[in-house]
Amino acid sequence: MKTRKLLAVVGLCVFGLGLFAGSATAADKVLKIGVVFPLTGPVATAGQRCVAAVETAAEVINNAHPEFKVPLAAQEGILGGTKIQLVVADHQGKPDVGKSEAERLFNQEGVWAMIGCYNSAVTKPASAVAERMKRIFLSGCSSSAALTERNYQYFFRCAPTDKTESHEFVEYIQWLNQNQKAGIKTIGLIYENTEFGKHAADEGKAAAKAAGFEVLADVAFNPGATNLNSEVQTLKAKNPDAVFGACLGGDYTLWVRTMKQMNWLPKVTLNYCTGYQDPKIAQQLGPDGDFFMGGTGYSPEIGAKYMPDVAAVEKIYTAKVGVPFDSDSIQEAVALLVLAQAIEKAGSLDVEKVAAILRSETFDSPLSLGGKVAFGPGGQNMKATSIVTQLHGGKYMPVFPLSYAEQAATVPMTPWDKR
Amino acid sequence: MDIFAQVMIDGLLTGMLYALVAAGLSLIWGVMDVIHFAHGEFLMVAMYLSFWLGFVGGIDPVISWMASGVFLFILGALTYRLVISHCIGKSAMPPLLATFGLSLFLKNFCMNRFSPNFRILQDTLLGGKTIMLGSITIGLPQLVTGVFSVTMLFALYYLIKKTRLGWAIQATAMDREAAELMGIHTDRIYLLVFGLGGACVGIAGGLMTSYLAVHPEVGGLFGLIAFLIVALGGFGSVPGALAAALIIGMVEALAGFYIAPVFKYVAVFMLYLVVVMVRPKGLFGW
Amino acid sequence: MKTTRFQQRDLVWGILVLLLAVLPLIPGVIGNSFRAHVLIMVLLYASMAQSWNIVSGYAGQTSFGHSVFFGIGAYGAGMAVVTYGLTPWPGFLVGALLAAVVAVLISWPCFRLSGHYFAIATFAIVEIFNRLFMVWDWVGGALGLDYPILTDGWKNFVWSQTKVGFYYGALALFILIFGIVRWIETHRLGYYLRAVREGQETAESLGVNSTAVKLAAMAFSAFLAALCGGFFVQYNYRVDPPMVMSLEMSMKFVLITILGGLGNFWGPLLGAMILIPLQEYTRAYLTVLGSGVDLIIFGLIIVLMMIKQPGGIMGIVTDFGARRRRAGARPDTGV
Repeated sequence: MKTRKLLAVVGLCVFGLGLFAGSATAADKVLKIGVVFPLTGPVATAGQRCVAAVETAAEVINNAHPEFKVPLAAQEGILGGTKIQLVVADHQGKPDVGKSEAERLFNQEGVWAMIGCYNSAVTKPASAVAERMKRIFLSGCSSSAALTERNYQYFFRCAPTDKTESHEFVEYIQWLNQNQKAGIKTIGLIYENTEFGKHAADEGKAAAKAAGFEVLADVAFNPGATNLNSEVQTLKAKNPDAVFGACLGGDYTLWVRTMKQMNWLPKVTLNYCTGYQDPKIAQQLGPDGDFFMGGTGYSPEIGAKYMPDVAAVEKIYTAKVGVPFDSDSIQEAVALLVLAQAIEKAGSLDVEKVAAILRSETFDSPLSLGGKVAFGPGGQNMKATSIVTQLHGGKYMPVFPLSYAEQAATVPMTPWDKR
Repeated sequence: MDIFAQVMIDGLLTGMLYALVAAGLSLIWGVMDVIHFAHGEFLMVAMYLSFWLGFVGGIDPVISWMASGVFLFILGALTYRLVISHCIGKSAMPPLLATFGLSLFLKNFCMNRFSPNFRILQDTLLGGKTIMLGSITIGLPQLVTGVFSVTMLFALYYLIKKTRLGWAIQATAMDREAAELMGIHTDRIYLLVFGLGGACVGIAGGLMTSYLAVHPEVGGLFGLIAFLIVALGGFGSVPGALAAALIIGMVEALAGFYIAPVFKYVAVFMLYLVVVMVRPKGLFGW
Repeated sequence: MKTTRFQQRDLVWGILVLLLAVLPLIPGVIGNSFRAHVLIMVLLYASMAQSWNIVSGYAGQTSFGHSVFFGIGAYGAGMAVVTYGLTPWPGFLVGALLAAVVAVLISWPCFRLSGHYFAIATFAIVEIFNRLFMVWDWVGGALGLDYPILTDGWKNFVWSQTKVGFYYGALALFILIFGIVRWIETHRLGYYLRAVREGQETAESLGVNSTAVKLAAMAFSAFLAALCGGFFVQYNYRVDPPMVMSLEMSMKFVLITILGGLGNFWGPLLGAMILIPLQEYTRAYLTVLGSGVDLIIFGLIIVLMMIKQPGGIMGIVTDFGARRRRAGARPDTGV
């Protein structure tokens, strides 16, 4: 059945090449928003979850959901009934594809604004397209700090940056040294050698050095590794007290398992928004994944306590992808909700007006930790917070800052043979 | 010294795994002169099969490698019958591109069907177990895979060198037309070779699920390294593939530890260039 | 030897270029549409494939290494703009010259290798360059180089409101590269190249210095591929190693030429005309069917084409046009 469908599609696309252009006809009460994420390629998992999150937000906005305590949920659509229609595109993790898809969405599909692109490397050229066209571009979770240091007028980002997270990690380690006598003096880094990993590691290194820690090991590896033996061996030989990690997906599990095999652990492991915060990976690693730490903007445990209104919305999302929100994907939902609120406040679809409101106002955002979103210069969300969590039995337990902490972290991490 | 030994052993074990992945490619390449671009994706398919058998059926990779081997034999044979046999001929490019297309298809088909999620088998018989030799740690799954690999390669070598079938394969590799005149059904030999090539990578993939996560992109780097091993060892040479794989595994480990992890593949690729400058047909090529 | 015979194909070629040149004058055809993007990509990839065709089609050396030269060209322009704050123009030239030099340096030893060994060596070179550029901070490393917002126009070679500028840029590349190949075809170098392809020993015995001929072809080819790289980075406002120096990019050079017809003047254009719209439109309009559907279909079509017509589209054309008359340049590389 599948093959017949495929064959039909093959025939169709060969036959109808070039006839596609300009097929979009907009019904009057619809607002098109472009959504560009990596739906194929190495980070497709994250990309597909991000799309599901934006779709969730669109459903909340478009339909009357008085039961949700989320802005715009009770009414149908925005501006008195305009529905949001998402136009989804795949950038495959490639900057050139992202750039051309952004152009296509604006010029051909006639989208009004865009949300994307997960990979910072793709967000850069794609948002440059929007900026040149004077269109609004929102990024949920692209984490490169450089994005909001470009002084763009129409670019906004909801999540905290690598820089913020790095400072938080260092602060936490200092606190541990003071209060739990952790005795952490040296730091090691392990990261995938990509735009994302390199950027995170550079920020981490800078923050650690500024605080007087010695950076002992700086281990970059090629993503999609067949093994991480020499990487972990290098870490083990240098034996830093704390390790900052930026490994995605499969590399993260390989890293954890290789450390177990080599029977080595640092006292503390702190991860950037990576494989650590993927609930599926945490579940699959089981007890091996415990006691690792990382920056987290959302987890069901945190949500239950500090973001009580997420759970209801999350059901829509979980129905799509089978996992709860994670820190990355939830930010994409925030992006659309904030954009919709700004349009509602502006009362019109005037780009300048909406952008001005985005730049100046503070928005209620029950889906953000802290509950507020306000964009500062360059478009960075100044209210973005992330907290340090530690995995305990597959659950992300907040440990820092103290106002969120429920229990003291297990520091140093329990050695492999004592688990 | 301990660290050096540890690094060497890790490298050797990695090399043995590479050897198993590359053996099938070497066979296909040597006999048919076809660059099989979808080899890494065959590995991925085998890993998925083994994962699902383990996840749904509770069959451990220690047993399910047989199923992967058989399945990949069939997949290889089908690939030959449906694709390769139609475009094999004078030029090497059509089969190369056809298998490239096949690799795109397989990778994205698996992603579409199984989602791009990373999947790990939990609680496998071998998973996470280690053996200590003094201060040296050896991962049990890697060790078992290594032993398998060497056994398989010996079996393959025996098959090619000592059996009538093997002689037929050799004859076909040397001169297809002459072999045909000698009464060898070369088409069937090709079918069998492609199947065997698939079976080797199938077994490798089946075992690897004990310690590696499965996802649609897992085959990429393995495929690339397999190419390198085959070329380094000399096309069609099974001992060459084993030697090259062990060398590459060790160079990778040593460069990764003593130079820097980012340079480990740079070192491996440089090694290849240096070797073929000295021996333009690879280590065991003629 | 000196007089180029005016052939029928030159007429076809002239008319085609003329048509393409006046296309933007018709309102609504180019503008800033997705169609314009696809047209530009067709011209760019046809040019890239043609530059590859010099070495691999005419000289018979299957190179998987062209993304290295493409990348060097891209970095030439990228660094001129981002690192040094200049216009991209000096970057184009420096990048292209550097690419030619690198091509000669790495090909010289590699030409001793035959067939698959050469192909794998070029593979290895791509991977080495990719990984070295990933850690080389001077060229931006893994972070890549991002363009600031520049004023539109020929000086900076960027346009954001309309694609007409980029279109003419791509057309200029197209005319330059196809023109050069046309010129090579009818001149001594072209005959030498084909002689080397058909039999290196025979060619040498007739006094052709095969190494020099192949190196010249490689240098030409790399120079032109690098120009395409420069265009690519201008068009995308960004360059990083996986974008330009990857096996995937190398495969595009190979795929387009072979699908079109290897060693044939029109092959690269035909290949690009089929493959690029296919790639762009399937991605744009089939993503809705589920992730990866576009690539599944793309892969299937490649397989089907290779099964049905291993000689590429040019094979179909020649079969169709004149069954008896075999075109002079048939793909027959011993790779």
